[in-house]
Amino acid sequence: MKEKFNIVGKPVIRQDAFNKVTGQAKFADDYNYPNQLYAAMIRIPVSHAKIKSIDYTEAIESGLVAATCDSSDIPGAKKVGPIRKDQPVFCDEKVVTSGDVLAMLIGENEYELKQASKKVKVDFEELPILTDIEKAMDEDAQIIHPEFENNLIVHYPLRKGNIDKGFEESDHILEQTYTTPHIEHAYIEPEAVVAVPLEGNRGIKIIGSIQNPHTARKVVAAVLGLPLTKVRIIQAELGGSFGGKDDTMNILSARAAVAALKTKRPVKIHYSREESILESYKRHPYRLKYKVGFSKAGKLKAMKIDLLADGGGYSCMSPFVTWRSVVQATGPYEVENVWTDVRAVYTNNPYTGAFRGFGSPQPIFAQESLMDEIAEIAGISPIEIRKINGFQKGSVTASRQVLRDHEINLLKVVERAAEESNFLSEWNKNKKDQSNAPSFVDELNPIVKPEHFIHPSNNVKRGIGLATSFRGCSLGAEGVDAAAAYISVQTDGSIYLLSGLAENGQGLKTTFSIIAAEVLGISEDRIHYLEQDTGIIADSGPTVASRSTLMGGGAIKDAATIIKNRLNEVALKHFNITDYDVLVYRNNTISNTENNLKIEFSELCQLAFNSAVSLSAVGWYKGPNVGWDEETGQGDAYFTYVYGCQVADVSVDMSTGEVYINKIVAVHDPGTVINIMGALGQVYGGVTQGAGYGLWEAIESEKGMIKELNYDLYIIPTSKDIDKIEPIFIEGEDDHGAWGAKSLGEPTLELTSAALANAIKNATGKRLFNLPLNLEEVLLSKKLRPKDFVRESSK
Amino acid sequence: MIPEHKFINADNIEDVLRLLNENDNAKVIAGGTDIIPGFHIDSARFKEIELLIDINKIKDFNSIELADNHLSIGASSNFTQIINDPNVNKYFPLLVNAVSQIGSHQIRNRATIGGNFINNAPCADSVPALLIYNAVLEIKSIIETKEIPLSEFLLKQYQTALNTNEVVTRVKLPFLNENYSGKFYKLGRRRGVAISRISLAVLMKKSNGIIEDVRIAGGAVTPIGTRFTKIEDMMKGKAAKSDLFKEAAQKIGEQILELTGLRWSSIYKLPVVQQKIYQLLEEINLEMNSVNKNEN
Repeated sequence: MKEKFNIVGKPVIRQDAFNKVTGQAKFADDYNYPNQLYAAMIRIPVSHAKIKSIDYTEAIESGLVAATCDSSDIPGAKKVGPIRKDQPVFCDEKVVTSGDVLAMLIGENEYELKQASKKVKVDFEELPILTDIEKAMDEDAQIIHPEFENNLIVHYPLRKGNIDKGFEESDHILEQTYTTPHIEHAYIEPEAVVAVPLEGNRGIKIIGSIQNPHTARKVVAAVLGLPLTKVRIIQAELGGSFGGKDDTMNILSARAAVAALKTKRPVKIHYSREESILESYKRHPYRLKYKVGFSKAGKLKAMKIDLLADGGGYSCMSPFVTWRSVVQATGPYEVENVWTDVRAVYTNNPYTGAFRGFGSPQPIFAQESLMDEIAEIAGISPIEIRKINGFQKGSVTASRQVLRDHEINLLKVVERAAEESNFLSEWNKNKKDQSNAPSFVDELNPIVKPEHFIHPSNNVKRGIGLATSFRGCSLGAEGVDAAAAYISVQTDGSIYLLSGLAENGQGLKTTFSIIAAEVLGISEDRIHYLEQDTGIIADSGPTVASRSTLMGGGAIKDAATIIKNRLNEVALKHFNITDYDVLVYRNNTISNTENNLKIEFSELCQLAFNSAVSLSAVGWYKGPNVGWDEETGQGDAYFTYVYGCQVADVSVDMSTGEVYINKIVAVHDPGTVINIMGALGQVYGGVTQGAGYGLWEAIESEKGMIKELNYDLYIIPTSKDIDKIEPIFIEGEDDHGAWGAKSLGEPTLELTSAALANAIKNATGKRLFNLPLNLEEVLLSKKLRPKDFVRESSK
Repeated sequence: MIPEHKFINADNIEDVLRLLNENDNAKVIAGGTDIIPGFHIDSARFKEIELLIDINKIKDFNSIELADNHLSIGASSNFTQIINDPNVNKYFPLLVNAVSQIGSHQIRNRATIGGNFINNAPCADSVPALLIYNAVLEIKSIIETKEIPLSEFLLKQYQTALNTNEVVTRVKLPFLNENYSGKFYKLGRRRGVAISRISLAVLMKKSNGIIEDVRIAGGAVTPIGTRFTKIEDMMKGKAAKSDLFKEAAQKIGEQILELTGLRWSSIYKLPVVQQKIYQLLEEINLEMNSVNKNEN
């Protein structure tokens, strides 16, 4: 049973809301310092080249440049990366991907700097460009990083049961291939950072739009050759990240820091939208091959899965992203025999890294499309196929993890989503009305035949489709999983709070304040959340993997409980009683109703201070042990999971291929909901991003160069494209974190594209395999690309 | 980054005409929703500009006025103004429909009708609607005031008949007989803030089931917004029936193919345009029939 809460689960307006909507919030680019210089990046317009020389003479002679900056100015590590150190801070030897920066010009006036940067002469030799992931492992493939023997970044095998036997025992075998594109994060705030050198050998202070201040600190310290303590990173208000302000921002911070130490002046780097899209990493494109064997009744027998991810020019987060894929590739279904290979390879395409979903949206699109196909062959409904195969208590995953210790709510979310959307009757009705008309598009003759004209009354078809998933919470066996929180209670009962995990715009400050306030029985507005600063809070790992509420929340609860235990002692003495179980923390007072005793929270704090009781504490939360065998892909991958199901209801214009989203019902089990407003926001945002992934978004680089450099060409959904989003929460029981509050951020995004694909099938009778399901894909089952790809306003 | 420009906020039309006459590389700016993004990405089209003349202060440029036989829209009227104007709504609803789908609220609050066709992008959304309403432009220079039909003003992509010493002052829309019925259709890659991939405007007038007049214009399907007059003529005097609508759609498909040749987008766009023209004609006809039925 759920505890009775004071404020947990109620709607609380986020702390930063007012300042953000009134323009008072200070973002990274709002910080300026006396004597501040700017940096302009030097790039070349090719994605693969050997740099022979960089000649700054003319730029320097122009008198507009205070300093140049390249790898010769780096005192420490010249290359960085989360696992493989393969990404140069300045690419002055070799360029391997479109946004690579060779060097920087530093100067007073940005406009002049841009002019001067045109005068830098780069002599380079173009190298063969590798863009096809399928060719990356060919013997004659160009090796992107010659220090490694081939273009393989990582390979995760997973072996369970006997795959051949599984296929032999199957009545049907189905094989399909799916593809997904590069995706831009599209955060509203482009990258910005200022590095301020501190006088007296005190190192450097950096303020920026940084997702993970502690990771940035590690990178900057390595590049500068300084101890961690000499690099202090402060996070400005962040205008969105979605996983995107990690590695790119760490490198930008390092560049600004190198320039600041060289010039002994503050240096700011801030990007235009074009530079942001050009240089920042993207979501991995995947090629997904599934071979699945199943019985007549639709019971899964064997799955052979071959996933190939495009890492682009650098390894970056590929080893972590693809690891989540190998764990979750079968979807939330029990399959006795599984043979999975997930590989990431280097190419000269834009490099790829973390993005909300992190290796899950790609396999879910494939595997949930596939489940509907299996259902069709077995002659059962999309609901039934998931009931037959879906995880339940005691189910064994592909990595042989037994699911227990938490509520396995997979079938519950599916049933609830089906119920809310009236799924079965709608699905059957649409199927009957499905268009079986032959395509009116004839590539050889573009003139429509008279019999192929579609009468307006028959032009719009409705479709409904669903997708479901399980998702491992937090980092799992991919990393150390622990978090810290700092609490300091003042004598007037107001409180400083801070966690080592960072606000990325997801509402973390408010969530954490609610947790601390709940423990101490106070209103959350008494809590002042401090700014993220590596100088005052412990490294808690990155703010990723939908882990903040779970891990950071656990640490906050721990910190607040330490304080509460100390206050208990003071209260007992004050009330002159012995049993602290009878103390109630509520409405900013501590009371013992039996004896009619009562004290204001603030008074108790003053009393504690006067009694020399420490009112500050550091809380710590460590996840339970997890494990993974690299050879076989077996182990308890994550210590707990969340479950979700989304149903998409669409209208398809049969003569244009336009898909309009009438409604998405999103049922999620995130564990206990801390702030219902925050949770709803996560669903609205995640579903919208997921819809963008499903229907519109794609970076389609040419020869590795990104063409969609702004939102005129990179199409993200607007409020006019999606009608209704209906979030529903099923709060499953779990022991972990703060009262079993788990994960929600990423599950909301990962399901939408598959639900849309299944809905489009229900409307049109057509199965689509390649994201995004845009106008041409829906109508022609292919993508069309202009040869002369130019922006409308540049003609 | 946007380079610095000389900028004059003109007080009256005489100053505008004088400045245009004195400066070869001057450009009039109203909403700036084409010019500013163009500067931002170093567009070759705006590189020569030395002087920007802002006309936003001049009332004559942005009033919407009823005249005896036409509605006169100031060239710097923004789209929000047009959308909110009762007379444009009453007499020229397809123009309202077209411009209300342009950009976003913020863009419609700035972007002007004159800017839309003077820029003459193939996808300019007001153009098909203005073409089927037979819009006539009033153009002024220091020497003269003249009038020219929009169809003759638009020359080719991003080029018009406007001379460097001239400014478009007003758009005049002649009133239509009330028996016309019409539709505007826009297809973008999404529904909001979208550049048109296809825009179509169709007007029809029937008498006893016979098409008396029909006007069809397209945007983004031909190099510039175009009326399909040959096909219109073919349809006039014939019975308003599905077969004719299909034939007209096919003929327009053929004409577009002739004008553009096979482009990367043709295999998608050409069949889709035909479907939509057919459907618009069919829908207008069905609506007219049901209105007639109700009246009877």
